[in-house]
Amino acid sequence: MAFEKYIEEHARRTKKALEMGGADRLAKQAAQGRLNARQRIDYLFDPGTFLEIGMFARGEPREDWDRTPADGKVCGYGRIEGREAAVVSHDITVKSASSSPINVRKMGQVRRMALANGLPLVLLNESSGARIPDTMGAIGTGTLGQDPSQFIRMREIPYVAAVLGPAFGTACWFTQLSDFVVMRKDAQLAISSPKVTEIAIGQKIDPLELAGWRMQAEVTGKVDYGVDTDEEALDLLKRFLSYLPSHHNELPPRTAVPPGADEPAQRLLELVPEDRAKVYDMRKVAAAICDPGTLFPLKDRFAKTAFTALGRIDGRTVGILASNPMFKAGAMDPDSCDKATTFLVLCDSFNVPIVILADTPGFLIGVEGERRKAPGKVINMMSALQMCTVPKFSIVMRKSYGQAYLNMGGTRNTDEMLAWYSADVGFMDPNVGVNVVYGVKREDDPVRFEELKQEIQRDSSAYDLAGIFSAVAVIDPRESRRWLARLLEVHQRRPTRGIGRHLLGGWPTTF
Amino acid sequence: MATEKVKAEITGKVWKIVTQPGQPLQEEETILIMESMKMEIPVVAPVKGTLKAILVQEGQDVSEGQELAIIES
Repeated sequence: MAFEKYIEEHARRTKKALEMGGADRLAKQAAQGRLNARQRIDYLFDPGTFLEIGMFARGEPREDWDRTPADGKVCGYGRIEGREAAVVSHDITVKSASSSPINVRKMGQVRRMALANGLPLVLLNESSGARIPDTMGAIGTGTLGQDPSQFIRMREIPYVAAVLGPAFGTACWFTQLSDFVVMRKDAQLAISSPKVTEIAIGQKIDPLELAGWRMQAEVTGKVDYGVDTDEEALDLLKRFLSYLPSHHNELPPRTAVPPGADEPAQRLLELVPEDRAKVYDMRKVAAAICDPGTLFPLKDRFAKTAFTALGRIDGRTVGILASNPMFKAGAMDPDSCDKATTFLVLCDSFNVPIVILADTPGFLIGVEGERRKAPGKVINMMSALQMCTVPKFSIVMRKSYGQAYLNMGGTRNTDEMLAWYSADVGFMDPNVGVNVVYGVKREDDPVRFEELKQEIQRDSSAYDLAGIFSAVAVIDPRESRRWLARLLEVHQRRPTRGIGRHLLGGWPTTF
Repeated sequence: MATEKVKAEITGKVWKIVTQPGQPLQEEETILIMESMKMEIPVVAPVKGTLKAILVQEGQDVSEGQELAIIES
């Protein structure tokens, strides 16, 4: 038969590449309860849609040619729930998925083609970092940096990352650039491994403190969700992508609305206490306003005073930004501002309308906040909000004081600001205000204090806000969902077909 | 078994302690309620576990970052 030799060689080489780092290493990975690089891709993509590029790429040194299948990163394209996407899946069984000039070339190709063709980029990250000894010396290190656009991030496409094992070097860098990050609870994310770090700094390091998921979810806010299995991680990546368009010149997909979607909002008067001294969990309010089951919190373990979530109203993706009175009484601190800013940048970049729910006594003030650049972060958030060109709506629910009133969409900082009839807006908490403005303390003269407090609180109601046409409407809380659904229907930016100007596309990926 | 320290997220006063050592806790279950900025602010368990100790008393002033309770998970 003609070409028999070629057929045989092609089959042999393909089989070898698919065997990755070999049966032993694959078995070890499976024993840890992990999927391998190719199984992850199979789980991620719709069956039969994976198109691999670079299967026969291999490491540069001749001695590595036979032992670096796909040079340790499996790359290509496939469909996720019917929509085309691109993937880089690090293969830890091949030289610990270390980065080399060839596989960096592959990753660059996938990235550039994803950008050119509007494909979300999915990064399945676990890697020891740069390959040693290949990157050593001036020749090794000088060979890096061939791609001057490698770390440009303009948010033309979503980047989503799963940290599925130890993720150092490029695996860490691209995680930092990503819009959504999930992390296995036994994985590690840091500049360098605990072992290397210990050697470098000469001190013992607790791996969880350096690189653990809770630190990344709670302290840095880089990780949105900690997961127990690879499958959970991949399901979350798919879920996140389902809210967004494939690229920034497209609208988010609209879904069907489940039956009974309008009912939860009828219970809003039970969810929010009338008594101002009592707190409640804003997450429940957000869930009641959205289509059932669609609320998808982001960075939920980080800066809990701010609540950020994707959701749907009437089948349309919205971004919910709220202060959560359950944490610090809803007083926003520097991390909350960063969380809010990051979220505004995400929504605006991908044509997602923003809904702000405000119940906040103001920004947290004090020495600690100032040392952590609170004013700068307040203004980052303010600039971001003003630069958003997606439709923006806000609802003042109860308190909203001072600059926080503005940051949470006050007056014309959102397209339409509504007020619940319980809204209470002013420059500062009246209890503090009496002391500041009149110099009277409650313990010195309680009667006078109370008189002055009434004075200061005069004209702070929802109707006062509406009287000067700051709020465009005063509404019963139970009407919130109906109002928002109708506002979304009206505010579709028809002249530009719903595509925003994306003024925040080039903002930093970490604050 | 991990030990988790529950810290005050805000400066204020311990108003009401609603649990006792030895009690099993769900994640985000209220351990005690603080008063700050004229609001009742629940201090909740950051993880599921058992309440090992409460380090403060009702009426005590606490600062942000101060340890309030210990949980074993």
